[in-house]
Amino acid sequence: MEIESAKEGEKSCLRKKLESWLNRRLRICMTDGRTLIGTFLCTDQERNVILGSCEEYVNPPDTTEKEEPRVLGLAMVPGQHIVTIEVDMYTPPQAIL
Amino acid sequence: MADPQLEKPKQPRKNMDLSEDDLGWGQGEFSNPGSSPDTIQYDWQDITEDFIKSTEELKLGELLHDSDFGLFEAMSAIEMMDPKMDAGMVCNQANRKVLNFEQSIKAGTVKIKDLTPPQIIGIIDATLACLVTWLEGHSLAQTIFTNLYLHNPDIIEDRCIKSFSLFILKVVDMVREKVNRASVFEEEDFQPMTYGFKLANHLSDMRVGGMLREVEEEYLKKIKSTRLRQGEDRDESTELQHQQFIAVQSRIKFCRMFYGALMAFNKKEVRQGSVEARRCVQQGDHLLAGIQSSIKYGIQSPTDASVNDHSVIMGFEPLVNQRLLPPTFPRYCKIVSREEAVQYLSKLMSRLNRIFDIVECTNLHVAFDFFIEFSKQSPCVLSRSLLQMIFLPQNKKIFGSELIQDFIREGIRMFLCPPVLPICALYQIHGHNRARQRDKLAHILEELANLQDEADKVDAALHTLLIKQEPQRQHLACFGSFVLYHTLHVMILYTLSGFELELYAPHEYHYVFWYLCEFLYGWLISTLTRAEGFLLEQDSISEQLQKGRSSKKKSKKKKQRPHDREIATAQALQNFCNGFYKAMVGLSLADKIRKPNSECDNEQVRYEHRFAPFGNVLTPPPVQYQQFMEMTSLSKYNPPLRPIDFYISSCKYFQQAKGIFESIPNPSEEVLNLIKVAKTNFVVMKLLVGGHKMDSSEAACFDFTIHKVFPIIKIN
Repeated sequence: MEIESAKEGEKSCLRKKLESWLNRRLRICMTDGRTLIGTFLCTDQERNVILGSCEEYVNPPDTTEKEEPRVLGLAMVPGQHIVTIEVDMYTPPQAIL
Repeated sequence: MADPQLEKPKQPRKNMDLSEDDLGWGQGEFSNPGSSPDTIQYDWQDITEDFIKSTEELKLGELLHDSDFGLFEAMSAIEMMDPKMDAGMVCNQANRKVLNFEQSIKAGTVKIKDLTPPQIIGIIDATLACLVTWLEGHSLAQTIFTNLYLHNPDIIEDRCIKSFSLFILKVVDMVREKVNRASVFEEEDFQPMTYGFKLANHLSDMRVGGMLREVEEEYLKKIKSTRLRQGEDRDESTELQHQQFIAVQSRIKFCRMFYGALMAFNKKEVRQGSVEARRCVQQGDHLLAGIQSSIKYGIQSPTDASVNDHSVIMGFEPLVNQRLLPPTFPRYCKIVSREEAVQYLSKLMSRLNRIFDIVECTNLHVAFDFFIEFSKQSPCVLSRSLLQMIFLPQNKKIFGSELIQDFIREGIRMFLCPPVLPICALYQIHGHNRARQRDKLAHILEELANLQDEADKVDAALHTLLIKQEPQRQHLACFGSFVLYHTLHVMILYTLSGFELELYAPHEYHYVFWYLCEFLYGWLISTLTRAEGFLLEQDSISEQLQKGRSSKKKSKKKKQRPHDREIATAQALQNFCNGFYKAMVGLSLADKIRKPNSECDNEQVRYEHRFAPFGNVLTPPPVQYQQFMEMTSLSKYNPPLRPIDFYISSCKYFQQAKGIFESIPNPSEEVLNLIKVAKTNFVVMKLLVGGHKMDSSEAACFDFTIHKVFPIIKIN
C-alpha cells in the first residue's frame, strides 16, 4: 500500500512538473533547424506539443543576425520532430485562450 | 511505471547543469525578437529530458492541457513539418540566399535587358502557369509574384518582358475586380489579396495594350527577316531562331487577345462588347496549339533545383514572398506545369466563348436554364464571375441595359420591384461553386417564401380589381404560381444536389426519392399544368385584352412551347424517382441495403435534417416524418408485400420514365443519359423479378458515372 502511494506520488510529481509548464513560453528546436517559441498548451504521450501564439525563427537561436519571426498562431509540433525543449522561467504562466 | 529511485537524483542535477549553460544565451539578441531587450526578458531552461519522461507517463490518447483548452482548439492547430500545412518548411529547403528583384539584378542573376528568346519564352510560360495556379485559388504571393520582374516592371529595359509584365499586372487587377464584383466566390475558389503589390495603375489599360502591339510588330519583323527565302540554303540555327521568334510573337499576341477580351467585358454596351470579346477569345484560342508545341523552346527549371514544384528559372524566386504570407497559411502551393497551364487557358477560352451565348437568352427561364447548365460543367471562378457580370452587370439591369421589370407589363412593375432581388440572387447562386450552391439554395427558400406571401396578396388584390372589368374570368394565383414554380425548382435542385455532393447514404435514398416523386415533382407538374391552363384561356381572350395584359400573358406566351417539354420532363422524372423509390424499398426488404446500427441510428433525425430548409416554405407544406411513415407503412398489406412486388412496380415506373423521355423531341445529352440510366435500371429490376442473385447477401451498389444524380443500380 505504501509503496504504491509512493509510486503514485512520484507519478504525480512528474505530472505536476509537466502541468507547471502549461501556459509558459516554450522554445522548441525542430529537426529541420527551425526554432519555435510559443505558449505551451497541450501535449500527449507521443510528446506532440501544441503551442499558442507561436512564432517561427529560421536561424538557430545563437546567431547574431537579428531576425523577424513569422507568426504562426496555433501550431502543433509532432514529437518526432522535436530536438530540444526549453521553458522560459522568467515570465510567469499566462493563459492565452 | 518508471522506478522513482532511479529518477529522483537524476532530474535536479540535469536541470542545474543545463540551466547554467542556458543563462549565457538566454538573454541574447535572439530572445528578444522584434522588441526592445529592456522590456522582455527570458530565462530559458532546457527541459527536454524531463519533458520526454513526463509525457511517457501519460496514457495513450490522454491529453495534458489546461481546463480551457480542448480537443476542438487542438484540431485547428497547424501541423509543423507537414509539407501541406507548414509553408515555412520550404524556407529551409533552399540552401541559398533569397534575393529580391533589385538585389538579384545587382548580383547579376537576373537580366533586365538583352534577354534571349528562350529566356523570354521560359519566363512567359512560367508566369502563365503561375497565373493559372492563382486562378485556381492560390495566393498571389505564392504564384504570380514569385516572378521578380512583376515587382518593379518600370526598371525592365527589355521591351518584351516589360510589356508582358505590365500586361500580367493589369490582368491581375482586372480579374480581381471582376471576381470581387460578381462575388460568387468563397475562400476555396479565389484569393483576392494583393499584399500591397502595385498593379500598374500608373498606366492606362489602352497604353499597355498598345505596348503589347508594338512588341508584337517588332517580333513580326524579326520573323520576316529570318524567314526561309526561295532557293535559300540556310543553317539550322537561323531556323531555330525563326521558330523562337514565332513562339514569342504568338505568346504576345495571345496576351493581347486575352487582354482585349477582358477589356471588352468592361464595355457598357454588353452586347457590343461581347461581339468584340468573342472575336478576341477565338483568335486567342487559335494561338494556343502553337504555344503548346513551342513550350520546349523556353528555358526550363532544372529538375533538381526546383523548390517544391516551383519554377526557379531566371527571374523567379519562389521564396521571395515567404515572409508576406499571413500567420497561419495552410495552403501548400503547387504551380501547375506549363503544358497544363496552356491546356487550362484553352479550356478557359472555350468557357468564355460559351458565356456569350447568354446574350441570346432573352427570357427569364431560358436564362435560368443556361445558368444551371453552365454551372454543371463546374467552371472556374473567372468564367463564373464573367457570366454574372455580363448578364447582370450593374444596376440590376440585364445585359446592363434592360430592366428585369421589362419582362413584365408596365402596370405591374411596381409589384415586380421587390421580387427582383431574390430572382437576381437565384442567378448568383448558380455562379457559386457546386458545393456552396446547396447552402445558398436553402437560404433563398426563406426569401422565396416571403415573396410567395406577397405574390398571393397581389393576386388577391388583382382579382378584386379585375373582376369588375371581366366578371367572367378568374385572376387568382397568377403571381403565386410563378413564385411557386421557382420555389419548387429550388427545392428540387436542393434535394438533387445531395446526390451530386455524395451526402446521402444508400439507406437514405428511399425517402429522398419518395419526397421527390410524391411531392416535389407532383407539385411542379400541377403548377405547370395550371400555368398552361391560364395560357390556353388567355389565348382565347387575348384579342379583347390587347392593352391590359398582365404578366401571365407576356411571360407565358413566350414559354408556351417549353411548357409541354417541361411537363413531360417533370413527369418522366417523377416516374423515374418512383422507380428508384420502389427499387429501394424492394432492395431494403431483401436485405440488400446496408443499414446503420439501429441502436445509434435515428431515421427521423436524418430525415428532418435532410429536408430542414423546406420548413421555411408554406406552399408546398413540408412533409413531416410522421406523415412519411404513415404514407409508406407496409403494415396495411395482407399478405405482406415481398421484394418482388416492389421490383415489378419499379420496373413499370422505369419503363414509363423511359417512354416519356424518349417522346421528348431533340433530346439533350442530359435526357439521353437519363434514358440510358432508366433503361439499365429497368433491366436490373427485371432480372431481380426473375430471381437473379436472390440468395446473395451483398449490398446493392449505385453507380453515378453516367449521371451525377440518378445512379445505375448494380446487384452483386
